[in-house]
Amino acid sequence: MEPLLQVRDLKVDFKLRTNTLHAVRGMSFEVREGETLCIVGESGCGKSMTSLALMDLLPRAATRSVGAMRFGEVDLTDRRAVRRVRGNEMAMIFQEPMTALNPAFPIGDQMTEAYIHHTGATGSAARARAVEMLTEVGIASPEKRLGQYPHQLSGGLRQRVMIAMALMTSPKLLIADEPTTALDVTIQAQILRLLRDLQHRLGIAIVFITHDLGLVSRIADRIVVMYAGARVEEGSAAEIFGSPRHPYTQALIDCIPQPGKSERGAPLGTIPGVVPSLVGDVRGCAFRSRCPVAQPVCADAVPLRAEGGHLWACIHGAKKDETERAPA
Amino acid sequence: MPIYLAKRFGLAVLVAFCVSILAFALLRLQGNAAGALAGEGASAEDLAIIVETYGLDRPLIVQYASWLGDVLRGDFGTSYFFKSPVSDLIFDKIGNTVILAIMSLTIALAISIPLGVLAAVFSGSWIDRLCSLVSLLGQALPSFFLALCLVMLFAIKWRMLPASGADSWRHFILPAATLGYYITPPFMRLVRAGMIDALSNDYVRTARAKGLPAHRVILKHALRNALVPVVGLVTVQLGLLIGGSVVIESIFALDGLGYLAYQAIGYRDFPVLQAVVLLLSVVYVVLTLLSDIVNAWLDPRLRVS
Repeated sequence: MEPLLQVRDLKVDFKLRTNTLHAVRGMSFEVREGETLCIVGESGCGKSMTSLALMDLLPRAATRSVGAMRFGEVDLTDRRAVRRVRGNEMAMIFQEPMTALNPAFPIGDQMTEAYIHHTGATGSAARARAVEMLTEVGIASPEKRLGQYPHQLSGGLRQRVMIAMALMTSPKLLIADEPTTALDVTIQAQILRLLRDLQHRLGIAIVFITHDLGLVSRIADRIVVMYAGARVEEGSAAEIFGSPRHPYTQALIDCIPQPGKSERGAPLGTIPGVVPSLVGDVRGCAFRSRCPVAQPVCADAVPLRAEGGHLWACIHGAKKDETERAPA
Repeated sequence: MPIYLAKRFGLAVLVAFCVSILAFALLRLQGNAAGALAGEGASAEDLAIIVETYGLDRPLIVQYASWLGDVLRGDFGTSYFFKSPVSDLIFDKIGNTVILAIMSLTIALAISIPLGVLAAVFSGSWIDRLCSLVSLLGQALPSFFLALCLVMLFAIKWRMLPASGADSWRHFILPAATLGYYITPPFMRLVRAGMIDALSNDYVRTARAKGLPAHRVILKHALRNALVPVVGLVTVQLGLLIGGSVVIESIFALDGLGYLAYQAIGYRDFPVLQAVVLLLSVVYVVLTLLSDIVNAWLDPRLRVS
């Protein structure tokens, strides 16, 4: 079956005074209908830029180049086509629910305006739809909420409003850029449950962007691990957590404290070293300076290995290399 | 909301009260009020008559109370120089000044809001620089120079508009254009800065992500928030404009409050001066109250505090 979203060789660059910052260096991935794809990586690895590039929302200073980018029948490199599907069949929610809503307008106005724009519905039909969606995301007395302003709602409620607003037009794809990062843990869990529940009931595909691998294990169907602007590994949740092939993925998993497994009082795992600068060209494997199993050949081009749907960009990890993979 | 307004209103009344004390003290603090009223070379008898007439020998608090009572009834006394009731003088002139102020402000906003929005949307480009140049010119040109240029072109050369007087709305166009253009730069800078700030906000990204057309994103979501500080500036500028612009009013022979105050200072005409000070202060207080109300409408977060 044709994937719902298809991205091939996406690059996002920022021109600096003397050089170029390559924020995204050739990302490729696919999202199938109704599935949850998680894009995981450290801060600054380019995961947010990837999501903004999909929606044509990159900052003005950024330039985008892409091999192919399709959403169903729509070519996402065509800006006019993007404007038709954006906020319509393809919706997005953001990290900061405190600032993502406009403080000057009531919730109801903000929820209905795009719906009216896209569908041509009347004001009262749009309000009815907004009440329905607020109920859908578990907000009590929705009619009252429509007249309220963002500052009258808590962070968790605002994120629910954001989700309800994104669902107004029944999108096929929801891009969620760290939607729970700014919330406290109990609210985080509620929002995750809500997203999973909505997905099952409404059959929307979700691209979930996060730095939190622990969270990914609770919602992902498939996972893309990003490092320094590029995909280093991709696979089903079972493949990534069960048999991670890239040393970076392995290192990330080792950083998740696990009740019962991790030793009590032991220091939390960290990855030594720092993320490489994305300014200028990166040759070879970007992770090699922090990699426990790096070889001299890692300075050259990295092969992309595949085992069914499981992909990884590393010289290691093929079956015969199994012994080499053991952390040094 | 009602509590917010009640608080603001209470504060406004309090400020107006303080200002009335200051305006009253304006004359008394001279030390010898009778001497100030009588002018130089007054005899002792003259002074005694003045003390008698104005009740200057009574306790200050009594004098203030009776003065305030008169003022509240609209009686500001009689002008020494014009020999007519101060209230009549002011009533005659304030109309012209208010019309001029409101027209100037309208012109300033009509220029600065579109320019500021354009400059912010295209910030850093030649459009931004052009908009800034157009508005900066308003500040760089002395207003009397611009006034004379406009008179030369529109009144003398093309004979489209009258050069002086205040007989019809057409008389107000040239002075209002001059003043309006003159006060444009601060508005334009504020709109530009506010828009640049608003456009970089997350809620603008949300609005774009919702698929709203660019003009809705800019003119609804960003501009609404960028206008909050502009309201405050409108208040200040309108207050200044109603205070009168001596230069412009004299160039266009537009007999307004500014010109009256200027004359009153020259002639040591204290009742007129007192009335003008009090009136302008009250205008300021009322404008501030209005701007609080408008801001509460623009920014709902203010309504709770």
